[in-house]
Amino acid sequence: MTSAPTLLEVQDLHVSYGRIRAVQGVSLSVPDAAVVALIGANGAGKSTLLRAISGIVRPSRGAVRFLGEDLVGLPIHQIVRRRVVHVPEGRGILARMTVLENLRLGGFTRRGQADMALELDRVVTLFPVLRERRGQLAGSLSGGEQQMLAIARAMMARPRLLMLDEPSLGLAPLVVREIFRIIPRLTAEGTAVLLVEQNARMALQCAAHAYVLQTGCVVLSGRAADLLAAPEVQRAYLGAG
Amino acid sequence: MDFFAFLVVDGALAGAIYALVALAFVVVYKASRMINFAVGEWTMVGSRVAAAASHAFGLGLGGALGLGCVGMVALAVVFKRVVRRPLISRSLLSMIMVTIGAGIFMRGAAAVVFAGIPARIASPFPLDPLVVRGLPISVDKIVAAAIAGACIAALSWFFHGSRTGLALRAVASDQQVALAVGIDLHRHFAITWALVGILSVVAGTLWSFASGGGFGIELLGLKVFPIVILGGLDSLPGTIIGAFFVGILESLTAGYIDPLVGGGFSYVASYMVLIATLFVRPYGLLGRRDIERV
Repeated sequence: MTSAPTLLEVQDLHVSYGRIRAVQGVSLSVPDAAVVALIGANGAGKSTLLRAISGIVRPSRGAVRFLGEDLVGLPIHQIVRRRVVHVPEGRGILARMTVLENLRLGGFTRRGQADMALELDRVVTLFPVLRERRGQLAGSLSGGEQQMLAIARAMMARPRLLMLDEPSLGLAPLVVREIFRIIPRLTAEGTAVLLVEQNARMALQCAAHAYVLQTGCVVLSGRAADLLAAPEVQRAYLGAG
Repeated sequence: MDFFAFLVVDGALAGAIYALVALAFVVVYKASRMINFAVGEWTMVGSRVAAAASHAFGLGLGGALGLGCVGMVALAVVFKRVVRRPLISRSLLSMIMVTIGAGIFMRGAAAVVFAGIPARIASPFPLDPLVVRGLPISVDKIVAAAIAGACIAALSWFFHGSRTGLALRAVASDQQVALAVGIDLHRHFAITWALVGILSVVAGTLWSFASGGGFGIELLGLKVFPIVILGGLDSLPGTIIGAFFVGILESLTAGYIDPLVGGGFSYVASYMVLIATLFVRPYGLLGRRDIERV
């Protein structure tokens, strides 16, 4: 591991939906301004883990320490205010509002700290296509543009930790490549990224560290480059013989 | 022709006030999908609070409206905390039933609390009607419609130009998304109810000027349903159009049909339009198609 200070520390986290135990004792850490990937099959508990960190579901046991403070039990908006921002699977953009309104909402928690025009400028520099489309209804954007809007809106909050859930879902390969080109650049803004992906190869190529989840448990972890070369990962997640 | 023009103008002036009441209904519906059956009672209490403020402190119209708004915002916040909050995540039906109960309670409580206090503020405007191109129009109604129009403009700026308004629209479109960008839902539900309080004071007071007696102010709530069904439950512009339509329709039927059938038809006409709307365009003029049925 690097010597960068730890931003997020998840310790022995358990999450259940009724009798289904979706996450069973996961521990992981995200260093400051790094990209960390979370890979695994469908139903391994990846999305649930993100939902527990961002306060949407309440873990039954364990701690989520962000800069030393336990986030468990805080209401969602308080967690966002600590600049932990979650882009859920399915993007969650507001289709009947304009691109600009969606972006302004992203900066909702930053009143009094930021000049909105400057912030908008900073964010659309990352995603130039949004500048052209700012007056359009968000629902009229293509799938890839909607995903970019979702990430851009999250960046309006100047997150210290950005959690992306399946950003490649349902997008054409070219668009996926473009989004994965942008993700490492977000760290230059001082943002750490916790990336959940089914597209394991893409995720491991852009991350520094990675965790492999299987039925709610971490079964492998380490440097992303090492995992990319590990035979068990290649067999199970990269489709190699 | 002159009679027709008179009826249209008179109906439109009433429509402006209907629009305020209907907007009070729609902002709550949009934010929480809650059907507020007590919107007429809110309006009644709003006008009584303003009237009480005016008589107790000898305030003019502006002061009475201001103090009335403060009182109703306080009532709204209490309502939201005490009545509405325990119902979060309960079924929509129980929330709707609660509004009916709250309405009955408000009617009864108002009779006790405001006993002996005049129900209305004396109109500060001249009694002689203004004559515009041969049409006599009461000054009360013109002023009431102008204030209503200003409120509608302010509300539309609030929803589209302000940070809180943007947040309220986000809450209305998707609560999960609103949470994800850091909006405190409880706080914004409270703001919605505060808006209801303010609109109730203004609409109730204006109605007490414009109606000059007539039916009880609680019944103003009954006008809301044809308006919002016609406009589309979740559309603010649709609501305003619906309000003017219902106002003019009532005025025309009162002028032309009531004398033939012996009166009362104007109260029914808007409900006939409501039924026709439900058959032809159940989501209203400007409403979204995927709207749920109640």
